[in-house]
Amino acid sequence: MKRVVFGYYGATLDAIGRGEKRWQKWRPSVSLCQHDDFLVDRFELLHDRRNTRAATALAEDVLQVSPETDVRLRVLDFRDPWDFEEVFAGLHQLARGYAFDQEREEYLVHITTGTHVMQICWFLLTESRHFPAKLIQTSPLRREPREGGDVAGTYRVIDLDLSRYDSLAKRFGEEREESLDFLKSGIKTRNAAFNQLIEGIERVALRSREPILLTGPTGAGKSQLAARIYQLRKSRGFIKGPLVEVNCATLRGDGAMSALFGHVKGAFTGAASDRKGLLRAADGGTLFLDEIGELGLDEQAMLLRAIEEKRFLPVGTDKEARSDFELIAGTNQDLAEAVAAGRFREDLLARIQLWSFELPGLAARREDIEPNLDYELSRASERLGTHVTLNSEARARFLEFAVSPSASWRGNFRDLNAAVLRMSTLAAAGRIDVAHVHDETERLARSWRRPRAPGDDPLALLGEVLTQAQRADLDPFDAVQLAEVVRVCRTASSLSDAGRQLFAVSRTKKKSSNDADRLRKYLARFGLRWEEVAARA
Amino acid sequence: MTSERHIDGSQGEGGGQVLRTSLALSAITGTPVRVTRVRAGRSKSGLLRQHLTALRAAAEISGARVEGDELGSQTLRFTPGRVRAGRYHFAVGTAGSACLVCQTVLPMLLMADGPSEVVFEGGTHAMGAPSFDFFARVFVPLLRRMGAELEVTLERHGFYPAGGGRFVLRVQPVRAWTPLSLVEPAPLRVTGLTALVANLPFVVAQRELAHAGDALGVPAELRRGMGVKSPGPGNVLMVELASEHGTEQVTAFGRRGVSAEAVAQGAVVETEALLRAGVSVGPHLADQLLLPMALAGGGALRTTPLTLHSRTNLAVIQQFMPLSISDEADGSGVTTLTLRGTA
Repeated sequence: MKRVVFGYYGATLDAIGRGEKRWQKWRPSVSLCQHDDFLVDRFELLHDRRNTRAATALAEDVLQVSPETDVRLRVLDFRDPWDFEEVFAGLHQLARGYAFDQEREEYLVHITTGTHVMQICWFLLTESRHFPAKLIQTSPLRREPREGGDVAGTYRVIDLDLSRYDSLAKRFGEEREESLDFLKSGIKTRNAAFNQLIEGIERVALRSREPILLTGPTGAGKSQLAARIYQLRKSRGFIKGPLVEVNCATLRGDGAMSALFGHVKGAFTGAASDRKGLLRAADGGTLFLDEIGELGLDEQAMLLRAIEEKRFLPVGTDKEARSDFELIAGTNQDLAEAVAAGRFREDLLARIQLWSFELPGLAARREDIEPNLDYELSRASERLGTHVTLNSEARARFLEFAVSPSASWRGNFRDLNAAVLRMSTLAAAGRIDVAHVHDETERLARSWRRPRAPGDDPLALLGEVLTQAQRADLDPFDAVQLAEVVRVCRTASSLSDAGRQLFAVSRTKKKSSNDADRLRKYLARFGLRWEEVAARA
Repeated sequence: MTSERHIDGSQGEGGGQVLRTSLALSAITGTPVRVTRVRAGRSKSGLLRQHLTALRAAAEISGARVEGDELGSQTLRFTPGRVRAGRYHFAVGTAGSACLVCQTVLPMLLMADGPSEVVFEGGTHAMGAPSFDFFARVFVPLLRRMGAELEVTLERHGFYPAGGGRFVLRVQPVRAWTPLSLVEPAPLRVTGLTALVANLPFVVAQRELAHAGDALGVPAELRRGMGVKSPGPGNVLMVELASEHGTEQVTAFGRRGVSAEAVAQGAVVETEALLRAGVSVGPHLADQLLLPMALAGGGALRTTPLTLHSRTNLAVIQQFMPLSISDEADGSGVTTLTLRGTA
């Protein structure tokens, strides 16, 4: 293996003059070739045309102390060796034109000579492997040598492949573990696919500013993960601004445009003052658009522009507004299907799904139920202000139920969260025992079970599509309406069919109508998807 | 084909001498050699550049096939072909000793098939190695007495760190060896002092001569200061001695940060020790003579107690040549070393 060194004639350090005293001084390019345990087979000595004579003389000195070295002088001119662009371009061109032969030669870049800008460029081009080289740094002996006057000084080879440095690799590994742990909210998840997914998200979150799309069923933890991604990026200094989170299903008509993009005073009736809008609120930060599939087509078009150009039009003005935000989108819909049905813009989908991650439901990660149970217990403790515990028998009983195939975990983490919260609340002094677990598993099983005769109790249907917590949150007014909607959905042949039935009157009064869309948005208000509601039929 | 010898490079003193002696004898006897643990335990272990140069020079002259000829290598295999006389040119980097490269290849050329002319470049006066002057004035005359026809001519001095020295060796193969016998007591006396300076103030030489001359009682007419040409700076002080058996020399090297007087004092101490020992062959010269004596089929000399360096050298020689060795020390520490070929 031949050793080839690239170095630039050091107009300061190498230039000591022609007097014999030069041999008593440390000259980096010469000293590099004066070590008895280090041999340079070829020295590609770059120099400015103006320094040709001095560089030639230097080459002769190198040959004298190192007759084994083949010194090749190469002219590389810089108008301004402190100009980053020029120096980088010059060295880059050198690298591109050089016939590297890594089978037979190993390469080193001598970074001790040349301007600081040149050092930076050497570093960048080596790190990017344009120079398939290691760096070599030389330095004089710190003290005046007493013995033998060793002017050769010292040298040090730096390999930029950080994985070769155990302690650094370990430190990076630890840092990586920390961020993975952070993304998982400190939950020691065991599901291999999920852990792999998180690793993928971590890489993307720290390396890319492109939009991220999180898909998966309701309650799979999209919104929590989005918040974690934001916090991770923020803690690493990638972003400074706030996290702005909005569920698109809650945005309606003109209000949607205005809520997202803002409006100016007088833009429409009731626009009594300027409104900034959510995009501008997210400037410099992250915008999390949950249920992005629920966004209207007009909003989609404006959003696309905002993503691509970082500019958009608030309602009621021709004056563009700007916002530089990172987008995380969430959906439980199949957006490709939505594109096919004309409900979602294909170009927007293409833009947001560059990094698409599908979060599995809890039923697909049964081994993660136990660590999540502990997590929920600690959250419940915090919330209730008491230390919530689960005795070992109760824990075993709960887990046995939780991981059994009969537990469908339809509401995913929402179900688990609600179950733990209920047990914690009911347990005296936060001590959950087998009896509490028994009651809770019964309740869960009941909520997931299909009713024998639909219609017997109209409201019983709600128990099938909503978690107990969601159900408890519902006004009687909404409960009756939703139950009827679910009943119709169960009997309808398609989403559009259900929409036509449910909006049978109002649709006749409109020029055009999209009943399916209205129905989808209605369901989304309760965190429901057509597929989930209809699947029970 | 002679079976391969295995030399443990870490034996005894464990330095470059084991390697140089092994290469010379391997080439001369046509015995392949495998040297392991080369310079093991040194702070920079394995082959350094000067060893690599010596190895490649030996390979070139003996047409050897070499494995492990890399910097830092601790294991090498040297399979010699036929030693060929001729014209060669070897250059040592880092101002390393060109004399040590010469020491490696000279025995081969003494046993070659014709006359040779070799140019050596690098350091001619390097610390920790015989200087050119020692080589030319002390060692070469003794070789001639053993039957060798050779001459060495200095063309330019080379000092650390600039190097750039150059000398030429012209040598004939030895037709008949004459064993050396330096056993009759013949005390040494100082015959002269020479201080060389290159690209340094001449006063350095004057101060060295004054200090050493006064200490050793050398009359002014035998003190000689010389400015020499060299690419870089350099300074040595040489104490020349002689006995009925021939010449000897003590050399001290000037170094940055060490005063001229301190350099001279080093030479004085070493010279006084040699004079006190009452021998005609000092430890360094004895070491140099071991290999030629073995080639000559024997010889004897009176010297100071054998150094570890010399014992190691002898042990290596014995691995290639059947040799009986006796060393008898008398009460005053004078050792009579006798080598006898047993083949």
